[in-house]
Amino acid sequence: MMHSALSRWTMSYFAAALFFFVGAQVLMVVGYGFPSAAAEAPETLVVVHMITIGWLSLLMCGALFQFLPVLIARPLRGEGLVLPALLCLLAGLVCLLGGFLEVSGAIETGVPLLAWAGVLLPVGFAIAAGVLGGTLWGARLPFPARFVTVGLLSVLATAVLGALFALQLSGRLPALAELDFRTQALPVHIAVGLGGWLSFSAIGVSYRLLPMFMLSPDKERRSSKIVWWAGAIALLLMALAAPLASLFGTPDVTVSARILAVQLGGVSLIFYGADLAFFYRHRKRRAVELNSHAAKGAFLALALSAAMLLTLLASGTLEKHAEALLYLVAFGWLSGLGLSQLYKIVPFLTWLECYGPVMGKKPTPRVQDLVAEPRDRVWFAVYFLSVTVGAAALLAEQPSLFRIATGGTLLASLAIVSELVLARSLKNVPYAQRSPEGAVPPRLFLPRTH
Amino acid sequence: MTQPDYELDVRPIIAKGGEPFGAIMEAVAALAPGQGLRLLAPFKPLPLFHVLAQRGFEPKAREIDNGDWEVTFRPTAGEQNSGAAVSAPVQTVDPNTWPEPAVELDNRGLEPPEPMVRTLEGVEALTSGQTLAALLPREPLFLFEELEARGHLWRGAFDPEGHYRILIRRG
Repeated sequence: MMHSALSRWTMSYFAAALFFFVGAQVLMVVGYGFPSAAAEAPETLVVVHMITIGWLSLLMCGALFQFLPVLIARPLRGEGLVLPALLCLLAGLVCLLGGFLEVSGAIETGVPLLAWAGVLLPVGFAIAAGVLGGTLWGARLPFPARFVTVGLLSVLATAVLGALFALQLSGRLPALAELDFRTQALPVHIAVGLGGWLSFSAIGVSYRLLPMFMLSPDKERRSSKIVWWAGAIALLLMALAAPLASLFGTPDVTVSARILAVQLGGVSLIFYGADLAFFYRHRKRRAVELNSHAAKGAFLALALSAAMLLTLLASGTLEKHAEALLYLVAFGWLSGLGLSQLYKIVPFLTWLECYGPVMGKKPTPRVQDLVAEPRDRVWFAVYFLSVTVGAAALLAEQPSLFRIATGGTLLASLAIVSELVLARSLKNVPYAQRSPEGAVPPRLFLPRTH
Repeated sequence: MTQPDYELDVRPIIAKGGEPFGAIMEAVAALAPGQGLRLLAPFKPLPLFHVLAQRGFEPKAREIDNGDWEVTFRPTAGEQNSGAAVSAPVQTVDPNTWPEPAVELDNRGLEPPEPMVRTLEGVEALTSGQTLAALLPREPLFLFEELEARGHLWRGAFDPEGHYRILIRRG
């Protein structure tokens, strides 16, 4: 079969992800959820899960379905399950959002939406992780894939905890009402979800994508090993601290284990920073393209988030300002990296899909011709500037400034999404070069039927 | 009656940072029997001499204004072929029976997807049964698919420095 190296449903995952990203920001601009509502209010949970599941997790799944087989030079095992996983995740997310809306009193359906979400989302993530994990199983794992392995274990842990929350909130399992999820499991759900699944996987992917596109040496370095070990141990401590402490009846251990986890996480990030600096400094490609340039904004946001976490912990104000920190992690680091890498991945895959069959036979446009970098430079700048202002506004408790900043990120996101649509439809390529005979113009986000 | 030489000016393509090889091979494929190709380029296209010689063309180059070059490729009588005339060895699948590479490419220092583009351009310029060797920055999964789809054979392995060396035999 032609082009099975191109993942069939990745563009559909990306399209759904971008839909939720834009949708969540629209809600934030009109003042839905935090800071107008409380951080744990159902309205806030709607926005938070549109970002973490709808946008970031679908983006990560779509990217991994494409990227992992290339990384380990093996075809995806169970490709037929990729679409069911997407449908399961989408249905689960719609149930979850509907369930939160019901808790907020906005709608009433009489359907146990949260319970359905508590089943569909873990099943969807389990299928996705199963396909990816099954592909990794038994392969000699190159370094970046080891990060993804930790990421896959983390997404399962996060999804199971999330399902328990949803079931508790739905009132379907009275036994769960006894447990104090908020202090015990919620920090794990957040830390393992954002830190393990999304960040650790993203770090792994960046270890291959950055050297690949900047032509930097990507031999395994000792510092990269420290990043993995320190990060993996930190995540394990974070996940197991509470259950082990309650098992042995020593609740104090939880706090010290979590502090140790934060310190190890810091060590991991410092060495990651050193590796990133190495990639940028030793690149053979002098001109840095916009995707790698914009990614620096995300790396700075990651460094800033780490510094903020340490400062808030030291000053004992983490509880008070946790929202600002989470906003910076989700929008500055994860979304910033996601947007910047989509800006390369989408044109690249589109180019392969369209011009692969005529490559070497007919003149083809360059991958860079599918986007218009100069005008998009501005939008990435607007995006990262707005995120910085937004985080500062949350710290300073200025809700109206926060909404203005969110307007900035929304505008920039819409501009970048439009550019991706133009790239998919080859609109930036001069007409004469656009479709040489034999080229296959791609569909916007659905795979071609052969 | 011989047709006049087909003229191709690749200077605008190169000035825009493009890669003219595809356009040149397309022009060569479209030539009538006996027809020549008049090429205008900003430098003397030495690599092309070898590639087109394989196809039975003889180059004649002269420098024109501003350091640009005009090269006329004329078919050598009776030798021109469009790629199908060379008979394939019987044992095509066994790489030990493959001929020495007609072209060697070093595509390590190129940004993706250029290593694949250059390699396929080289393969498309071969005649059936000829081989091409290329050094690539990593194992080229997308290239494998394309080679298979086009009916070419290959074998490859990592070299000690972690680069991928591939030998491709045009089908």
